[in-house]
Amino acid sequence: MKVTLISIPVRDQEKALKFYTEKLGFIKKKDKPLEGGNRWLTIVSKEAQDGPELLLEPGPNHFEPSKVYQDALMEAGIPYTQFDVNNVDSEYERLTELGVKFSVKPSTMGTTKYAVFNDTCGNNIELVEEL
Amino acid sequence: MTFYEKELNRINGIIYSNQEQIETVIGVRSYINNNYDNDLNLDLLSRFRFVSKYHLLRLFKRHYGLTPRQYLIDKRIEKSKEQLINGMSVTETCFAVGFESLGSFSTLFKTKIGKSPTEFQKEQLSRSKLDSEF
Repeated sequence: MKVTLISIPVRDQEKALKFYTEKLGFIKKKDKPLEGGNRWLTIVSKEAQDGPELLLEPGPNHFEPSKVYQDALMEAGIPYTQFDVNNVDSEYERLTELGVKFSVKPSTMGTTKYAVFNDTCGNNIELVEEL
Repeated sequence: MTFYEKELNRINGIIYSNQEQIETVIGVRSYINNNYDNDLNLDLLSRFRFVSKYHLLRLFKRHYGLTPRQYLIDKRIEKSKEQLINGMSVTETCFAVGFESLGSFSTLFKTKIGKSPTEFQKEQLSRSKLDSEF
């Protein structure tokens, strides 16, 4: 049994695709039409294109508990998930230039450096660097 | 401050309050990253950092979740993948990343990656050939 996919709930798949590819630098992998205007839409990291896929799933639009959960995490400032980067400070600079809004500026806790931004599709996302 | 930040601060205060310890383990990890192809010498490291070998081991595990040796093995396997993708032979790769026996390298690689170094290399090289054809 292998872990090959993680799912991120998004309010708008097309908007999420643009944000995750144009701002964050992910690459689209699979794009399959499903019913009701929904898509099976996945992206992968540019540096690990045969690594795990990120599924941009529109759950909150179709399943109330998913929406409730996403909103609750957002409200509490809790990131939905995290991505590893080589350097949190330079990613923070780069993304801020691109207009991305951070709720937590680069900070350190133990041997981890982190920052948290808004993905404009309902989630806080954390960037993490191991020191 | 959000709930998340408050929680992080609270936890930080409890488990991450010793800055000197943190700097010690960061130094050890950095040393391993730069010297993975050599023998890991915990005695040397602990002397350099003025802590006992066992304390160093415990501290490292506490912060990184792995012992220095486990971390070293993972790092060597990660580097061996890079070399194999570059076309280096399995034997040369084994010794280049610091393993001392081809047998233990192959077994470890297969356990962690799910296929032998040879199979992995074959797969990677044929994939890049396919990519360039399309």
